[in-house]
Amino acid sequence: MKRWNIYTPEGVQDILFESCRQKRLLEDKIRKTFRLYGYREIETPTIEFYDVFSENGLIKQESMYKFCDSKGRLLALRPDFTVPVARIAATKLKDEVFPIKCCYIGNTFSFDELGGGRQNEFTQAGCELLGINSPEADAEIIAMAIEALKATGIDEFQIDIGQVGFFKGLMEESGLDGNEIEEVREFIDQKNLVGVEQVMDRHKVKSELKKIILDLPRLFGSKDILQKINYGDIGKGAANALVNIKEVLEILEDRNLAGYVSIDLGMVQSMNYYTGIVFRGYTHGVGFPVLSGGRYDRLVTLFGRDLEATGFSLGVNMVLMALERQKKLIPEKQEGVLITYDDRARRLAGDYCRELIAQGIPAELDILKEGTGKSREYAVSKGFSRIVHINADGTKKEIML
Amino acid sequence: MRYITIALSKGRLTELSIDFLEGAGIDCSELKDNSRKLILTDEKNKIRFFLAKPADVPVYVEYGAADIGIVGKDTLLEEGRDLYEVLDLGFAKCRMCVAGPKELEGKMELVSITRVATKYPEVARLYFRHKRRESVEIIKLSGSVELAPLVGLSEVIVDLVETGRTLKENGLTVLDTICDVSARMVVNRVSMKMENHRITKLIEDIRRQL
Repeated sequence: MKRWNIYTPEGVQDILFESCRQKRLLEDKIRKTFRLYGYREIETPTIEFYDVFSENGLIKQESMYKFCDSKGRLLALRPDFTVPVARIAATKLKDEVFPIKCCYIGNTFSFDELGGGRQNEFTQAGCELLGINSPEADAEIIAMAIEALKATGIDEFQIDIGQVGFFKGLMEESGLDGNEIEEVREFIDQKNLVGVEQVMDRHKVKSELKKIILDLPRLFGSKDILQKINYGDIGKGAANALVNIKEVLEILEDRNLAGYVSIDLGMVQSMNYYTGIVFRGYTHGVGFPVLSGGRYDRLVTLFGRDLEATGFSLGVNMVLMALERQKKLIPEKQEGVLITYDDRARRLAGDYCRELIAQGIPAELDILKEGTGKSREYAVSKGFSRIVHINADGTKKEIML
Repeated sequence: MRYITIALSKGRLTELSIDFLEGAGIDCSELKDNSRKLILTDEKNKIRFFLAKPADVPVYVEYGAADIGIVGKDTLLEEGRDLYEVLDLGFAKCRMCVAGPKELEGKMELVSITRVATKYPEVARLYFRHKRRESVEIIKLSGSVELAPLVGLSEVIVDLVETGRTLKENGLTVLDTICDVSARMVVNRVSMKMENHRITKLIEDIRRQL
């Protein structure tokens, strides 16, 4: 039998020194931004009852890590934060004054596809805004997403906004059945014009409506595309969705954030708990979105309380990869000091070391004590700025590195 | 300006792909030089190309290592990657089919099929699971799939059929068509957004030639 004790399971990673430092730095920046904008941090358990996520097919069972508790009940490693937050909102936040703003940073686990920066264990940082359904709330959460991305140091990015009601509305008008709708949804999600055409050709649909459905894979870009659509052709549901997007965009314009957003009416990914505005964030250097979010007004209901909500989460590992590829990681300051000393100056060396640390300068005593060459090698490997030697009489000799 | 990277399938799709790109005003001379360089460029338009094994093209594009790819629909189906499929280029046309001995013609519903030989295990698995709701044993082969039913390795095969001649000469026939296949242009989901103008223009320039 092969022994696995020196390996890590697929899709999980050790994160060592410099990468770990960069990751914490990034998390700190995000956490600070969330807090400044009024989102209070919460922690949720790493493990939950499987039922929390399986209700109504919220999350595919094959993408969850599952195991049992001591009573034989099924548990899951949390595959996301939004669902646990919905559980908390329904059961524990009953006395909070609206709007409830909370945020989280933590690891999630899922067996989704690997590669291109996607892991089975990954860190998500996100915000949830509960208790309001209004364009202001939708704009607020998108603004928060933009500010968080800005805080990470990425400057070229784009947030795409869609509205699930637009596609749903069009489909209701078209009279296609459930399977066909799913077929069309997949094709639109892949921007596959040919596929959409093939399905639509099998049906008699009002020609204006059909034209818009066929055009859906192309309906993305600047807000001009909203002008291209005649509201009379698309039915009430879809028209309301467009009005909703327009209102949200206007608010973002007033907040000077319009430059970061564009529209994608063909955004129809299958995250089945979304009910209104949805959005995704993209940047150069990584092939996958760095953030995604949207309105989920019926999710909290599953846990026994009617509560409207919206939120987003940012993939910390993905952002880190983007920063690295865009060469925007900030290297560690070279300011550390290694203190070597004569045996008789041990007390003085200890005092000096504490003094430096009290000033916020990283300092280490040379505990190796194998001579200048070895000490120097160590100091260089740690990226220190200098070695300070303390002589027996208390005088110091500084060697810059 | 950033480079836009295009991944082309090495093999039967290469030449026609290049024709389309040239038709769109892209300088492919370096590509046609048969040089040993792996990555070739059109400096004027800031476009880079590379040739990859067809099955790898969707991978490069999904990960964003290439922004655009040209690849057969058969490969896209088999790889099942998360991409934008923006154009049917219309060449390299054929059909993905279930084929088997003549005796099975019209009797697909009656006999139970247990073994399927194919170069496209994912396509075959999905077809039998969704369309026929059957669990079959998929036997992955690397070539000459037609042999399998002849020597009793499997009852049927799933394979690309262009003219059907090979099947006919071996006493096999098409039992069901899974889908039509041709060369497609695919785009990475992020690139489509971040480089919308340049990529949309390229798509239009190629669409015009169809």
